[in-house]
Amino acid sequence: MKKNYGQIYTLPLTLWLTVFFTIPILIIVAISFFKKGLYGGVEFKLSLDAYKALFNPLFLKTLTSTLFISVITTIFIIIFAIPSAYYIARSKKKDFWIFLIIIPFWTNFLIRIYAWIAILGNNGLVNNILIKLGVIENYVQFLYNQWSVITVLTYVSLPFAILPLYSTIEKFDFSLLEAARDLGASKAQSIYKVLLPNIKSGITTAILFTFIPTFGNYAVPQIIGGKDSVMVGTIIARELTVMRNWPLASSISVALTIMTTIGVLLFSNFNKSKTEELRELKRGIK
Amino acid sequence: MIGGELIIDNVSKDFDSVRVLRNANLKIKPGEFFSLLGPSGCGKTTLLRIIAGFEYPTEGAVYLDGKNIINKSPNNRHVNTVFQNYALFPHLSVFENVAFSMRLKKESNEKIRKKVTEYLALVKLEEHVKKMPSQLSGGQKQRVAIARALINEPSVLLLDEPLSALDAKLRQQLLIELDAIHDEIGITFIYVTHDQQEALSVSDRIAVMDRAEILQVGTPFEIYENPANLFIANFIGETNNIKGTVKNVDDDIITIETDSFGDFKIFKDKEVSIGDTVKVTIRPEKIRISRERPTDTDLPINVLTGRIDELIYSGFQTKYYVTLDVNGVTFKVFKQHIKYFMDDTPFSWKENVLIWWYAKDSFLIEVK
Ligand SMILES: Nc1ncnc2c1ncn2[C@@H]1O[C@H](COP(=O)(O)OP(=O)(O)OP(=O)(O)O)[C@@H](O)[C@H]1O
Ligand SMILES: [Mg+2]
Repeated sequence: MKKNYGQIYTLPLTLWLTVFFTIPILIIVAISFFKKGLYGGVEFKLSLDAYKALFNPLFLKTLTSTLFISVITTIFIIIFAIPSAYYIARSKKKDFWIFLIIIPFWTNFLIRIYAWIAILGNNGLVNNILIKLGVIENYVQFLYNQWSVITVLTYVSLPFAILPLYSTIEKFDFSLLEAARDLGASKAQSIYKVLLPNIKSGITTAILFTFIPTFGNYAVPQIIGGKDSVMVGTIIARELTVMRNWPLASSISVALTIMTTIGVLLFSNFNKSKTEELRELKRGIK
Repeated sequence: MIGGELIIDNVSKDFDSVRVLRNANLKIKPGEFFSLLGPSGCGKTTLLRIIAGFEYPTEGAVYLDGKNIINKSPNNRHVNTVFQNYALFPHLSVFENVAFSMRLKKESNEKIRKKVTEYLALVKLEEHVKKMPSQLSGGQKQRVAIARALINEPSVLLLDEPLSALDAKLRQQLLIELDAIHDEIGITFIYVTHDQQEALSVSDRIAVMDRAEILQVGTPFEIYENPANLFIANFIGETNNIKGTVKNVDDDIITIETDSFGDFKIFKDKEVSIGDTVKVTIRPEKIRISRERPTDTDLPINVLTGRIDELIYSGFQTKYYVTLDVNGVTFKVFKQHIKYFMDDTPFSWKENVLIWWYAKDSFLIEVK
């Protein structure tokens, strides 16, 4: 009886996920196994061409650089996000800071990216200030390379790391840091040995929330990136809209989805296995 | 181990320009079990946190074994704290919690294992080494916190209401154990509590605080039997307060006149002159209750008549609230039951009785 009720209650959700999530994915998977149509679309003939194309060295190179950019970006984000979230959680004006973090979402995503051109461009804010200060004589090319992409990707995803970290750190008992100091830990040691292990779940969430969208991002490398910063997302967009190779765009998407899923599973399993170990330990004692 | 000597030298502390600690002066002897006793919000924790290094005093200095330590960070002070909320590290087992300070010092595993086992034995927790803090009872958590603080071999151990979260029975038991640990390792204990019973039963000396100030420092006996003012008399145990004017002064007996019930006598332990307004206190357990005037004593006594208004039997004693005949003044009288089946025919509610006490058992608190 209970089971049936459960299914009834979750029916709307199941429907929603099926229509808007599962079916589109199945369509993409299906397209990836067909032949490319002449002007976009597909010919309904089974083919593995799209998957063979994945082993093209150029594509593999793009994949590596996407991975590199995503990993570096995630590291930067976490390095910025932990102190920011910590500061907000301890601040008396929490609401104010959270508000500041949410404000940018009121502006269109693309406009925010273009704003970076105004900041980092050859005639942009940073160059002008540096020239005025006499630090440099001629403008420096900040944009259209890997590092400008990493900078902007870091900016784009930072809130998605700060918010989950903030909610974990807010629940953290700060008197534990005093206890650590009391027992001989320096400030750094108290953070490293007490704070970080206790906010691990927040760090995990922050990594997943930032790595995944970064890995699949295409607008940022498109607008801010150069030759060295083509990302997998860019290629998907190009294959779909410019090259009109739907099966290839789909096979890349499928590959991306599979890689991300495996990554997430491995990552969360790694985290879980430690917790499991602890639980085993506890059971052993009882 | 050797306990440290701690001197609090004229320490004051302001929070947002509110003074929460005013000119605190204390000299705590090596190895002493010293209690800070006072009502909530009087600044006990603040003083403790200044000693531990978590707060910086607005004025004054703190000397540990002769050296001013106020500029040392908490990790560089030879002082450890048992926190009120335990503050155990939830991600570490009992063993690792206790081993925390030794791991920081990069001691060898063998040494750590030996010493942690030793200290867990001291607090009777050998069986629980591998548990996580969330699997422990409140009393066990507090034991871990005590072992974790002691293993660092501090010369002063600070305890901030360590037992307040436990039930009465367990509190009693842990208090006795704490006292035993203190005797065994011999370091200085500074024990913060708002429970006067706790403070009286284990301390060598007590500092009574109220509203940011230290009012009196003394042994439990001195604090109870000779409180410096009315606040302390009322805060430490129960008491009866009487206000009056001095009517006559003899060699060792003062006669005091009250508005409410006439004259009474007290022992002269302070200089007074006729006409002074005084406050006197008499502890309820020092007042006797009877049906007839006592005849077997030559010592000066005070006898009043009244009626039992309220009577609370609690096993080892009965509390009587006796209202005097002359007007509405009520005296608290505690009678211990030292014999089975009461000591004589039990007094009953609304019964008319005599209450009396020896003149030397009440004492002058304030003279104006
Ligand atoms: N960080 C702080 N900022 C502002 N005021 C504070 C701070 N810490 C304590 N106070 C104030 O200082 C006063 C003394 O606080 P303290 O914690 O020392 O009291 P306590 O004697 O330990 O009380 P309790 O028995 O309730 O623990 C209180 O009025 C408290 O509100
Ligand atoms: Mg306190």
